[in-house]
Amino acid sequence: MSEQPNFIKSVIKKAVIGAAVGGVLFGAATALGFPPIFRYMFVAYAMLGTAVFILLDAPALPTMSGLKALAALLAFYVVLSGVYIGGASLWPQYDPDDEKGKITKLLEAKRKASEQGKAEELLARAKALDEKASAIMQRLQTLGGPTEAAPAAGGAKAAGGAASGDLVALGKEQWELQECYNCHKLYGQGGKKRGPEMDNIGNLLKPDEMKQKIIDPQSWMAEGFEKEYEKKKMPDKYKELMEEKDIDALVAFLATLKNPAVNTPKPIKKK
Amino acid sequence: MKTWQRSLLMLFGLLAVFGATAYAQVPNAPTVEFPYTGNRLAVWIVAQLHILFAAFILGAPIFVVISEWLGYRKQDPRYDRLAKEVIKVTVILYSMTALTGGLFIFVLLATYPQFTTWLINHFFLVFAVIYPLLFIGETIVLYLYFYTWDAWKGDKKARHIALGVLLNLIGTITLFVIDGPTSFMNTPAKAEGASIVEFIQAATLWDKIFNYSWMPLNLHRLVGNVTFGGFITGLIAAYLFMFSKTDQERAYYDWMGFVGNLIGVGALLFLPFMGYLLAYELCDYDASICPYMMADQLSMFFEMQGAMIGLIFLASNYYIWLSMKRIEGVERVRISVLAVLVMVALPFVMTYIWTIYPVPDPKSLFVLLPLVLLPVLFGRFVPFTVSSRAAIKVSFLMVIVGNAIWMTPHGFVATGAKLVEELELPGDWSFLALMPAKNSAAITLVFVTVVSYIIYNRAIKQGTIVWGKIDFASQFVLIFLAFSAIWTMGLMGAVRSLLRKYFHTYNLVPDFTVESFTPTLAYSAWWITGITLVFYIVVSFAIILTLRVSESKAHAHEGSPAPAGAK
Repeated sequence: MSEQPNFIKSVIKKAVIGAAVGGVLFGAATALGFPPIFRYMFVAYAMLGTAVFILLDAPALPTMSGLKALAALLAFYVVLSGVYIGGASLWPQYDPDDEKGKITKLLEAKRKASEQGKAEELLARAKALDEKASAIMQRLQTLGGPTEAAPAAGGAKAAGGAASGDLVALGKEQWELQECYNCHKLYGQGGKKRGPEMDNIGNLLKPDEMKQKIIDPQSWMAEGFEKEYEKKKMPDKYKELMEEKDIDALVAFLATLKNPAVNTPKPIKKK
Repeated sequence: MKTWQRSLLMLFGLLAVFGATAYAQVPNAPTVEFPYTGNRLAVWIVAQLHILFAAFILGAPIFVVISEWLGYRKQDPRYDRLAKEVIKVTVILYSMTALTGGLFIFVLLATYPQFTTWLINHFFLVFAVIYPLLFIGETIVLYLYFYTWDAWKGDKKARHIALGVLLNLIGTITLFVIDGPTSFMNTPAKAEGASIVEFIQAATLWDKIFNYSWMPLNLHRLVGNVTFGGFITGLIAAYLFMFSKTDQERAYYDWMGFVGNLIGVGALLFLPFMGYLLAYELCDYDASICPYMMADQLSMFFEMQGAMIGLIFLASNYYIWLSMKRIEGVERVRISVLAVLVMVALPFVMTYIWTIYPVPDPKSLFVLLPLVLLPVLFGRFVPFTVSSRAAIKVSFLMVIVGNAIWMTPHGFVATGAKLVEELELPGDWSFLALMPAKNSAAITLVFVTVVSYIIYNRAIKQGTIVWGKIDFASQFVLIFLAFSAIWTMGLMGAVRSLLRKYFHTYNLVPDFTVESFTPTLAYSAWWITGITLVFYIVVSFAIILTLRVSESKAHAHEGSPAPAGAK
């Protein structure tokens, strides 16, 4: 009978200890320069630990049967489902819209080359021509004479921005599209240890050599990245995933990176 | 469910396969647009359900036959009864596997006809000959195994166990065969320097099957299936314990839950390493997969995975804790203080060592092995010991610490492209987000759970288990473990498929549909939960149908439930 008051005492004691541990972790994380989000994360672990230790000394659950057990079971499933969906929703969410435009651009050439792409292009052209003809007919009927038709929707809309012919801008776009930043740090941002920093690569490799490295990644190895398990780190796939003009654009962009203040490791010819 | 009903279900499954195959032969068959869900989600739901059923029917027979063998060897009828009850559920779920498998092919062909026919053409022998033959063979052996259970007793028991081994052999080969096309979609065979498109055109069937991730996927699924089978057995036991009417029944189902959990957790200890091996091979195949998983679009999926693994380890240790409460004489059980010290030191020491000697450098094991063996080799020479309760409390603490390390991200962002200083680990602490720290966290979780089980085992040997008198909360722990294991399978299944990025077959067959993008974790969690619940409903129905209903027919009990107080 004295189990319940003892448990309450135990809960209070553990809650106080948990709060103290959480406070210490928060203070230490602040002193060590952790951003607020990490401090809250440490406090959350202290709370989890408190909950676990409270549970360890909780009194035994009374045996249930029949409808009561069934109701408890269903409630348990509802809680579990809610916790898992809620828990997953609390994490930062990747925005698919960030990727959609990128994927369209990456697959553009392959789509055009495919049967489906060819059919779609023909359909789009037919649709554009149809719209153009309709517009001309409408003008003729209303104005009594031929006029210049409005450009068809979805026509050559490539002008402007990165696609205007500026090779370096196109190359920068390839850097983003191929997600080179995941492995190579540039301008102080992006992947840190998988591949070398690229800020000074323009002073170390000629454009042709850069192109060779992209097409055949094992042809050049940066100093400090020559260990056996690192040799295959750069994927041998860009010769197929990228069109030659895209590789040329990327090379043009890389060739502009000439910041000697950054210690880009020296590439060594291997093939 | 009667045999003719099961046969009807399987026939429907086969008809769906034939119908779908015929549909695929129609030139330029139009793509079906699934209302409400969209095509990708329709495939996701059916494929995941199929994999869950398949995982159970492949995993459960492994320990069914082990349990049957143990019963034969120890002459303990409880093992035989356990094995028979699980195989009854397996037979029902086998029909569901066939049904969802047929549906999966049908949906795949209807939604992605061009890609599916392309894949079938590349693996024609597998899809048209080997897999159907294995499936038919497995069906025959499974039914033979099930229906000869009572007939092949006594002298014929060894023959029956041999049949069970044959069933598992066929099941494992089936798994390995179908893993060929599955792994191929992630890591299609390639040769250094050669064009992947040209290489695939000339590659043999074996080249395509024996790709980078095939064997790691086989091992991961094999171990995962045993874990899954163990936890589902725990679920079956928990259901039947909850609705038991006598102490004898409760004693038996308490024991069954104990065995299911033991097998589930035993296999679970290997899973992090199998997962690591698979991830390692994927990264070795194409290093750009690694940041996509760990630092970019899927990074938060792995945070959720870390949370799930932490919860599963906490729950499995909590089950031990509750189990020990009903062991009389547990207070006498003590363990060397060295074991506790190693538990506490492990994550910190190994993070440091693996930073200097990263895995797979052989030197990375030079400290780990002596450290984990220290309590075993020198424990008896050190006079200081701690009580079992204190030691297990320390293991809970270290599961939380290990999990905290596992889950500490480099940045609280879903993509490295949006990383800003306010969300990033400070430079001096960035090692917490790197692989040495993550590996040490994984080894800590495994080590403390092993220590808990060693303590548990000593308690069982030195004390007396009062079967049936376990805290009722333990049944919810068993249900939690099964639910969480299924949910995690769903999550990692989504991850494995999403790793193909915007390709049906990575770098080879692009996915031009509008659904070719990485969904959010929250959206995925809704569907994973939905799929888990549907699977749960079907499994619950199968358990009630086969075990509760058949029991009400008052057939003779197989095996004698151990009375309370029996060891």
